[in-house]
Amino acid sequence: MSVKTLDTAYQVTPSRWSRRNLTVPIGLIAAVAVLWLWVSSLNLDSIEARVLNAEAVRRAVVDHILLAVSATLLVVAIAVPLGIMLTRRWAKPLVPVVMALANIGQAVPALGLLVLLALWFGIGFKIALIALVVTAVLPVLRNTVVGIQQVDQSLVEAARGMGMRASRILRLVELPLAVPVMLAGLRTTIVIAVGVATVATFVNAGGLGDIIVAGIKLQRTPVLITGGVLTAVIALGLDWLGGLAERLLRPKGV
Amino acid sequence: MSEHGVRIQLDRVTKQYPRQPEPAVDNVSLDIPAGELVVFVGPSGCGKTTTMKMINRLIEPTSGEITIGGENVLALEPNELRTRIGYVIQQIGLFPHMTVRDNIAVVPRLLGWDKARITRRVDELLELVGLDPSAFRDRLPKQLSGGQQQRVGVARALAADPPVMLMDEPFGATDPITRDKLQNEFLRLQKELRKTIIFVTHDFDEAVKLGDRIAVLAEQSHVAQYDTPGRILAAPANDYVEGFVGSAAAIKQLGLMHVGMLTGLAELSATSGLPTVRSRENARDALDIMLRAGTSHVVVLDEQGDPRGVIGFEDIAGLLREEVSRVGQDA
Ligand SMILES: Nc1ncnc2c1ncn2[C@@H]1O[C@H](COP(=O)(O)OP(=O)(O)O)[C@@H](O)[C@H]1O
Ligand SMILES: [Mg+2]
Repeated sequence: MSVKTLDTAYQVTPSRWSRRNLTVPIGLIAAVAVLWLWVSSLNLDSIEARVLNAEAVRRAVVDHILLAVSATLLVVAIAVPLGIMLTRRWAKPLVPVVMALANIGQAVPALGLLVLLALWFGIGFKIALIALVVTAVLPVLRNTVVGIQQVDQSLVEAARGMGMRASRILRLVELPLAVPVMLAGLRTTIVIAVGVATVATFVNAGGLGDIIVAGIKLQRTPVLITGGVLTAVIALGLDWLGGLAERLLRPKGV
Repeated sequence: MSEHGVRIQLDRVTKQYPRQPEPAVDNVSLDIPAGELVVFVGPSGCGKTTTMKMINRLIEPTSGEITIGGENVLALEPNELRTRIGYVIQQIGLFPHMTVRDNIAVVPRLLGWDKARITRRVDELLELVGLDPSAFRDRLPKQLSGGQQQRVGVARALAADPPVMLMDEPFGATDPITRDKLQNEFLRLQKELRKTIIFVTHDFDEAVKLGDRIAVLAEQSHVAQYDTPGRILAAPANDYVEGFVGSAAAIKQLGLMHVGMLTGLAELSATSGLPTVRSRENARDALDIMLRAGTSHVVVLDEQGDPRGVIGFEDIAGLLREEVSRVGQDA
């Protein structure tokens, strides 16, 4: 068999870029455009006009993204090292304990947590951030642990047998092979963070929760819909970026 | 150019896993001469892998002493020790996200080789295991067939030219045809390299084919017999070894004898119509050729393909008789 035929037989290079990748952002931009056209076409009363003025909406969107992204970065900074630690042999007994805690964090209603934190520590951006991190930490943590654990143990054994130290095995073998699973966890965390960031309004930390809550309280459907749609657009947009990262960072050959 | 093997000694080595009623390896002593390929053969679970992994300290012995080239392995830093021992496992363990080149370069990088030296070494090793460097160097493991992956696995183990290689059922997962090919290439390679190799298998025929010596292991790695394949076939030490040798010991022995060993080849006359065999092939092949052709004789060809003589059934039977009596005297 010639090298050429072998090449075609085994060539498996998934394309990292395709036109399909752009469907989501184009759709999201279109959704925002339709929303804008619709709201502009309405005869807004004074209350609606006050809530939906361009500057207020822009602020809410920026705050919301800032909150969700900060929470996600904090989750990564905490959960990735913690997850790595939990896969070390000496930490085996800790795994169920930490996982139980993270599960509780996800199960506890974010709003209740937020109220408790507000009672103890007051209100503001930081408090909202803490509540978000607690609620959204599990997917990254779990997927870091699972991602490393699912690495074929014969690879780790081969690495050890060649004289690689644990730290080098982690860096060159375990982490690269865990990246796809870890990034899948990251995407879930992002979506949770964007969703839960809507309750930040209750501790005065801004975000699209301001608009949604105003819509409910004032019984103004256009306001409610604007807040809801924008939240969904941010969630889907950040998830799309996460998906992009997944494709770009996935190691070749896996 | 390449470093030849060194002697390995196991002295009363025992491994007791925690919470197990009995040791997995019990008081094993073996002397493995420099440059030899020694096969550990025994049933699954008898402790072959455990015994082997104590040599590169992937498993720490409970008691006993292991020396490589006279050095006590327990006195060495484990990772440094392992960079000097080639290690091949059945699952091959190529890193799927690294190219062939990067896989082979693992140990050289650990040792801090410069880029040019690594490049040269990678290409040299690929040539050595029969893969065209320009075609294979930049491939990922999944772009290789099973046999090619196993070759890269061997190249990777040889990367820093270790004097010692440990191979745990390396060809166990390949199909019979690929396995046969890998075994032949591996023998050719070892002839050149003369490393000290410990090769684990549960396949006695593989042990006979590859081993300079065979250690037939029983439960807890107890050494039932440690000898050359020829002597184990001719004179099994006990029932256990005999059971392992299985039936057709004489036929297996023929596999160890070259046709070229036959002296006094009969005169070449009336050879037309007779099948042929090359002198470097073994007596088992010659017998097989005769049986298939339905003749009682076969023409032996030398390396150039010129006829050297004719042999028949009686010659082969005589060869076997001689061998048995020779081994009997030695034993
Ligand atoms: N890590 C371990 N802990 C406890 N027992 C083990 C461990 N590894 C192997 N064993 C046991 O030790 C014995 C020998 O195993 P092994 O060396 O893998 O045998 P082989 O390679 O000959 O199949 C088996 O009974 C096996 O169950
Ligand atoms: Mg084994």
